[in-house]
Amino acid sequence: MTTSAVRTNEGSTPTGSPVDVAAAMVPSLRRRAHGIDESASFPAESLTDLRQNGLLGLLVPVEFGGFGGSLQDFVAVAQTIAAGCLSTAMVWTMHSQQVDALVRYAPAHLRESLLPRIAAGEIYLGSVTSEREKGGHILTNAAPLQRRGEDLWVERDAPVVTGGAFADGFLATMRADEDAPTSRVTLVYLERGPIEVEARGEWNPLGMRGTSSAAVKLTGTAPHGNIIGQPGQFREIAVNSYAPLAHIGWSACWLGTARSALSDVVSLLRSAQCPSSVNPRSEVVGNRLARVRIDLELVSGYLHSALQEVERARSQNRSLDDPAMQIHLNTLKIVAAELTFGAVDQLLQLTGLGIGYRKDSPVPLERHFRDLRSAALNYSNDRLLAANGVLAFLDPSVTLLGR
Amino acid sequence: MSAFWEEGFENILREFLPDLPAAAQLEPDIILRDFGLDSLAVVGLLLEVESAYDIAFPDEELNLNTFSTPAKLWETIVRVRGSEVTVP
Repeated sequence: MTTSAVRTNEGSTPTGSPVDVAAAMVPSLRRRAHGIDESASFPAESLTDLRQNGLLGLLVPVEFGGFGGSLQDFVAVAQTIAAGCLSTAMVWTMHSQQVDALVRYAPAHLRESLLPRIAAGEIYLGSVTSEREKGGHILTNAAPLQRRGEDLWVERDAPVVTGGAFADGFLATMRADEDAPTSRVTLVYLERGPIEVEARGEWNPLGMRGTSSAAVKLTGTAPHGNIIGQPGQFREIAVNSYAPLAHIGWSACWLGTARSALSDVVSLLRSAQCPSSVNPRSEVVGNRLARVRIDLELVSGYLHSALQEVERARSQNRSLDDPAMQIHLNTLKIVAAELTFGAVDQLLQLTGLGIGYRKDSPVPLERHFRDLRSAALNYSNDRLLAANGVLAFLDPSVTLLGR
Repeated sequence: MSAFWEEGFENILREFLPDLPAAAQLEPDIILRDFGLDSLAVVGLLLEVESAYDIAFPDEELNLNTFSTPAKLWETIVRVRGSEVTVP
């Protein structure tokens, strides 16, 4: 186990900050993104790079061999990876979300055994929260943990698991025990080996085709000590780790992709490849670029304000279980999903049938458009809007972000 | 009437606790969330209680702690009811 926060890419130059490490990956990510999208295949080579350059351990504390990265680093790295390949960025973000839960809630023996392996790139974590009986609602579960002597017996069917067929371990939500109501949910670490992983069904969607988010069935045993946090109390982890890291991480990913799209379009407009139908000096083009830029500025500003609110609460050991903070995090996800997709849609309009709409375009707007269409569906905006509607009653003084 | 609260209170509360068996006693200190009161349901319960007791919870009482146990919610209702001034 290394205790250095700085790692070396195999056979390449020494690297510095985690963002520099991520930035060094971007050219290869971009090169592979088209093929991954075409074949709807998991970005296995990119995951290997992430294992080797230490980024699977971004949020692992330095004492366990990780980068010991902050949430600011998390956002910066997610954005950077997403500038190359959004599927890879989402895979990494969801892995990192679970690392945060392990760091904050796993029992000491599990932290000591698992975190160094994650930092070393040995364990890529999949997230198992969905269930056929309840869809994507993460705070209820039907499949129970069953006591078998000292061990837990698990039979868990999940319809949507990003990278499920490729993960080395999983954090899975389960009903606390066979007699518990569905609202008593326990988070448990499950490792491939003792747990048999059966990939089921296909993943052939409109966009985000590299995330390989097909169904899996997990069957097998786990030691009782693999329970993360208190049995039946997953809600605390969801509110303080899963939800904020998901909403912040996903928003950073979507922003990274939309930002790279704007950057690519601006470069295109200055190049010889600029279609004759698009006049970079025209007011129409200027206005469209300005609008896209405004949308990205709004997402970035709100993202960093929400991030600071979470960091402040964490530094003061305050729970995020507060209606206003939940509204802010839900708002971030909704706004980021809508505005980044809208930004790419506007860039597609600007570059037209000759560039933006084509699969063989020098700027992959068509892929970004399909990928970002998933943003409003991924933990559906409809559900978050409904939640914010009722949360408004619990914050009648209207505590706005950044007040 | 229970020793803890007026009779109608329990009927209102049970409507929002899908995971509390009908035969089970409603103990004053159970964690309501563990019996199915999620944050969406909290708002339904709030509106129901305000309507049933003809009160309006002041802003400082509108937090998840108020809705954490039957006892806390009932204490809040009693406190709010006692502090509200009736305008003739």
